[in-house]
Amino acid sequence: MHAPASSMDGVFPLPRARDGAQVTDEPSRGDPLSSNELAGSPADEAAPAAPLPPSFTAELLAEDAVFRPARELRRFGIGLGLSALYGLSLGARQGGKAFFLHAAGVPAALLAVAALGVPALYIALALFDAPIEPPRAITAASRATAQAGLVLAGLAPAAALFVVSSDLPRTAAVAGMAGLILGGAIGLRLLLGELRRALREAKVALQLTAALGFVGFGVFAVALAARIWTAALPVLGGGR
Amino acid sequence: MSAAVLSRLLRDPGEIAASCREDRDVRAIAVTSLLSILAGAAAFGGVIGSFRGGPQIVYAALKVPLALLATLAVCAPAFHALCAGLGRAWPMRSIIALSLASAGRSALVLLALSPALWLLYDRGLGYHSAALAASFAYAIAGLAALGVLVRGLDRGPGRVLTALSFMLVFFAVGGQTSWILRPYLVRPRTEHIPFVRAREGGFADALYMSSRSARDVYDEPERLDPRTLPDVPTFQAPGGWQVDDGTAPRALPVRQP
Repeated sequence: MHAPASSMDGVFPLPRARDGAQVTDEPSRGDPLSSNELAGSPADEAAPAAPLPPSFTAELLAEDAVFRPARELRRFGIGLGLSALYGLSLGARQGGKAFFLHAAGVPAALLAVAALGVPALYIALALFDAPIEPPRAITAASRATAQAGLVLAGLAPAAALFVVSSDLPRTAAVAGMAGLILGGAIGLRLLLGELRRALREAKVALQLTAALGFVGFGVFAVALAARIWTAALPVLGGGR
Repeated sequence: MSAAVLSRLLRDPGEIAASCREDRDVRAIAVTSLLSILAGAAAFGGVIGSFRGGPQIVYAALKVPLALLATLAVCAPAFHALCAGLGRAWPMRSIIALSLASAGRSALVLLALSPALWLLYDRGLGYHSAALAASFAYAIAGLAALGVLVRGLDRGPGRVLTALSFMLVFFAVGGQTSWILRPYLVRPRTEHIPFVRAREGGFADALYMSSRSARDVYDEPERLDPRTLPDVPTFQAPGGWQVDDGTAPRALPVRQP
């Protein structure tokens, strides 16, 4: 007696991210306010002159009012796929098998952080009765993965330029690592920012406790990603 | 090429930036900017090449626009991704138009500065002063580009961070692309001028080594393991660290006692 995945759609309505914020039932189409929401900063600072045209990026990163497992899964998959493009560009230094090793190694760290770290963080927060439900944590993780993947895919041409045109392995490794750090940091920022916003109404003591949990999660995520990338990516001395 | 767009590009960068952001008139802006880049960068390159003269004028006139356009091509996806990552999930089309408009405005400034630079070279400027003058002109042009870019990033959150990340990526990619396509400024006594010099490390390596030599720390040239080199065709001679293509500075002969 298994219900189809689509029947879960709408079961978990997500709390509004912010008073007055434009959160829609359908994925947003490049709405400027929802774009600004992604930065997690006060909306009153934003004063766009005109609505922005729709874009794939805005749709991918939009906040939804209703939790849909299929949509989050799709977003998560797109994020991993985009990050694999960065891996392909790193593999261009050695070519051949290295393409596959890097294309698998880069998303592996994002997958590991989402699969191992986020459930652990949820459990830790739940122990302190933090008002964060699983759908909120899943949505934050999928959006963070999509954002990290998008940044990594955008940096892929630049990374390919550096790893292919640098003679010294050290320079290629530094260039590759810089992109990974940037993409990972932006994804982590979104994940923790979104979870922190969910605790805005909570007591100060709980917010402080959660902040400690977020710091611990951040350290764990950085260490885990670094461990996987240095072990799996030949351009960083791994994969041997 | 539209004269009206050209005028807006120079006089009203804020309006051009808003048009790019809101996807209005982007085709005309992109075409005009592209032609401005080709004309301005080629003229500037030609002037730099005139320091040596001969074929270097043509080489530099080809390579400066090529380096700029290659940098933009590599940077545009990164700009788009960084914009999205820092809170502005804009269409790629808007980002490309904004990048082209910024580069087009800077190329027009380069075009305006070219005659003055040429006059300085013609008056017998030394090699290092010539390099400094060209860098100064490039810096002024960069400020003109920044005017469009910063206005393009509306007054939302993360504006400064986004602009800084754009500049960082542009500087890194532009440095590497220009490094690959060098030389631009060649000493007049150089006999043989290659279109592109043999590869010696990269832009970052050069910056690192220059910072060390500025502190009087000189390293032995690193011997590279051929297995760690990128698997791409290079201009590097087999087994050699450096190729004497006639443009490298030569050591002066030491008089024996």
